Amino acid sequence: MSFTNDTINIEELPKFEEVSLLPLHKDYWKIILITNFVFLLVMGIGLGFFLFFSEEASGYWHFLLLGIVALILLSVGFGKLSFKKRGYAFRQHDVLYKSGIISENTTIIPYSRIQHVALHEGFIARQFGLASIQIFTAGGGNSDIEIPGIEKDKAQDIKQLLMSKLTTDVANTAVENE
Amino acid sequence: MSKSDFNQPQRQSLIGVLVMFTDTLQKIGRALWPILVIWIFKFNEMNKLYLALGFVGVVSVVGIVAYLQYLNFTFYIDDQNDEFIIHKGVLNKSKIAIQLHKIQQVNINQSLVQKIIGVHALDIDTAGSTKKEVSIRAISHDLAVALKTKLLSEAKAVSVTGESSEAIHTNTEKPFIAISFLSLIKIGITSNYVRSFGLLLAFFFTVFENIQNLARNSEAMDKVDAEIETYINQNMAMYSMMILIIAVFFLILVINLFRTIIKYFDFRITKQNHSLLLSFGLLSTKNTIIKPEKVQIVALSQNWLQKKMNVLNFKIKQASGSETEKENKKSAIEIPGCDELEKDTILKLLFGQIPQKGVMLKPNFRKLLFPTLFFIIIPVLAIIGYGFTANDKVFDYIFFLPVYLIFVGLLLYFGFRNYRLFVNEQYIIRQSGAWDIDNEIIEPHKIQAIKVSQFFWHKRANIGSVTITTAGGDLSFHLGNFTKVKELVNLWLYQVETTKENWM
Repeated sequence: MSFTNDTINIEELPKFEEVSLLPLHKDYWKIILITNFVFLLVMGIGLGFFLFFSEEASGYWHFLLLGIVALILLSVGFGKLSFKKRGYAFRQHDVLYKSGIISENTTIIPYSRIQHVALHEGFIARQFGLASIQIFTAGGGNSDIEIPGIEKDKAQDIKQLLMSKLTTDVANTAVENE
Repeated sequence: MSKSDFNQPQRQSLIGVLVMFTDTLQKIGRALWPILVIWIFKFNEMNKLYLALGFVGVVSVVGIVAYLQYLNFTFYIDDQNDEFIIHKGVLNKSKIAIQLHKIQQVNINQSLVQKIIGVHALDIDTAGSTKKEVSIRAISHDLAVALKTKLLSEAKAVSVTGESSEAIHTNTEKPFIAISFLSLIKIGITSNYVRSFGLLLAFFFTVFENIQNLARNSEAMDKVDAEIETYINQNMAMYSMMILIIAVFFLILVINLFRTIIKYFDFRITKQNHSLLLSFGLLSTKNTIIKPEKVQIVALSQNWLQKKMNVLNFKIKQASGSETEKENKKSAIEIPGCDELEKDTILKLLFGQIPQKGVMLKPNFRKLLFPTLFFIIIPVLAIIGYGFTANDKVFDYIFFLPVYLIFVGLLLYFGFRNYRLFVNEQYIIRQSGAWDIDNEIIEPHKIQAIKVSQFFWHKRANIGSVTITTAGGDLSFHLGNFTKVKELVNLWLYQVETTKENWM
């Protein structure tokens, strides 16, 4: 048996922070806008009813209108920012997903630790032909990755790829155990 | 020991009817307790004869049901299909078949009732379910051990033929570690101050509130209230406060002591094949198994007093089949009161060697900012603000403020000073805690996922956090040098992706 035990040069390891990330599909931005507007619309209708039935509050309607406009602008602004901040990459041995405005988070899952992969198609996303991929590990909820805004065909390919990695890994370990 | 073969259907111990009886009674009690409480209050108004008759009726019905349950409960091993089969049920008959190779664990437990009548319960854990699927409620100890050995050896023989010769020696060996009563006392009086204090506080508040509610309802209480007020005003505050603090402290000690002893009495660790078998408990004996390959996080906890007394606590988190967080927390196993030698033995068994601390990573001083803001600056400002604007009586008690500040300041300072990450090739060790110093140990190949995060205002300071997820829980290190953190993450990813070892 040839046994080697070279020191690892940490400097020369592949760096996750230098990976160029793929952006989400540009139609996903529309999905963010639509979901935000639906949410605001529901809130707006609620407020409208409140104004309509409450005598006292109707005096302040212009403040409330101003508030709603500000909310819309904020949601658009933050939506755009959060869309721009997201990105993903599939490397040879692991998958990366980056997101977050206030706190920039990068989650990395090695393929060998994936438990299963799910493909979701939301109602709005389906209209744009988009899907999201959710990757589960044995670590539980905090560590799962959900990558939204991927074209459906591509998402299916990715799922296939991950599944094939999964099965080959299992086969490999099974061989090693024997 | 009866050399019974388990291929014939057999019943539990006859005396086990008692266990079934109390089980059913408990169930009924739990379901009906609101009604029972009402009955107790209305005790005088009710017809005593009917009550007695009813009681006798319930007891006899439960007794008969228990006996029928006993009659209908049989178990045996089906050699042809390699299955363990249980028939049970009085009205709804059911047959449970468990494939032997799916059996993960067989635990022998004893509750208080079972201890009194001298029988044991045998629980079977299978792969692919969170609940204990099968429980035989009452069999004698010899039979339980024999059945356990049989089940486990059969399970091994079916799945791994190579190990079957070893598995036959699954007899309970002599414990190689037994935690002494003295160690338990030491641990009892030196740990869990915060938790007990919280419990006491909650208790006092509820009692206090109830008394106040009562007091509002009766005028007589007003007098007492007024008296208490004058009593406190007579500059006795300091003195009574001291007594109160001492009393609370003493109470915490006693509670902790009793809880530790009742929970962990007669703690033994036995080596069995490749796993550790723990058994402990005063009122009810519990058995658990630790399989080294399933262990994800090992945490050692020791405070200054415990260090002087040469005791420490182990907390071992294993990978659990379930995906929910709650279950993960539950499956943390504690070993209280090990001394240095025992600690080294257990570590060697779990890791094959004693983990060494590697290169140290310190947190940035900004780690202190938020706690300082929340525990020092905001409370002080609030008190001063309240004193000046609403009620300047607060200033009479101002002498408590320095005490509080010193206490919190010390906690924050030591919490910061002890917060460290040690990394070498084989182990990731995070040290944390102000009083109880925890050392959590993870092996890199147990990593499931890594999450790196950075607030945008920390970019210029080049600091950030990392969270390592394992199947037994997370481990975070906050606000370290971000370049170093990223370097470590790359190293860990390399280790995970090149390792041949399984995480479980």
